[in-house]
Amino acid sequence: MMRALAIGGFLAALLLFAAVEWAARREGSRIPSLADVCAFVMRYEVGPVPVGRIGLFGFWWWLGWHFLAR
Amino acid sequence: MDHPRELTVEAPRAWDRPVVSVPVLICLSLVGGQLPSFSASANLYTLGTGGALIWVGLSNRVPPRRPAPRRLPPGALWWLLPVTVFGVFEGATFVLSVGDEFPTFSRLADPMLEDHLVRSAAWFAWLTAFWGLVRR
Repeated sequence: MMRALAIGGFLAALLLFAAVEWAARREGSRIPSLADVCAFVMRYEVGPVPVGRIGLFGFWWWLGWHFLAR
Repeated sequence: MDHPRELTVEAPRAWDRPVVSVPVLICLSLVGGQLPSFSASANLYTLGTGGALIWVGLSNRVPPRRPAPRRLPPGALWWLLPVTVFGVFEGATFVLSVGDEFPTFSRLADPMLEDHLVRSAAWFAWLTAFWGLVRR
């Protein structure tokens, strides 16, 4: 029962990701695409240090290591 | 004669074209898909490919495909919905830590990633998204 709840919850989250991305790609949408949100985050800098870029690269690197190497 | 800077368009480098980058990503993914979990080779390969992409992304060697938005519209808040749903379930399964009874996302994904083809597909998705981030 709890296992089905977890699977259902994660599936719902993935479907919501797809739905919001689909909504963002419609003509004249006021929702930015995930790529635009990432690009905006990557603009963040503290002085000369591209903190947003380093943070997002680091997160994505960790995600790949977690799923594909561990 | 000098041309205004904003009118000049930088030609994409040969290795920056999809006809080059996609086959390279496929080859890297096929190799990655053969490496078993918890092996030293898988760790080194993940660290190596990811490290190389981070180095390219931070060294400004690849021009961005299009400029980043200066600000986000209020509609960006919609992204909090899937993030929150995922975060709640991942947090709950992680904190309760009862294994297969109430599994985390990675615990659910692990059996699927044991298949080499699925693993290669996951590698391709990871590398393609990483390349997309580097290009932004």
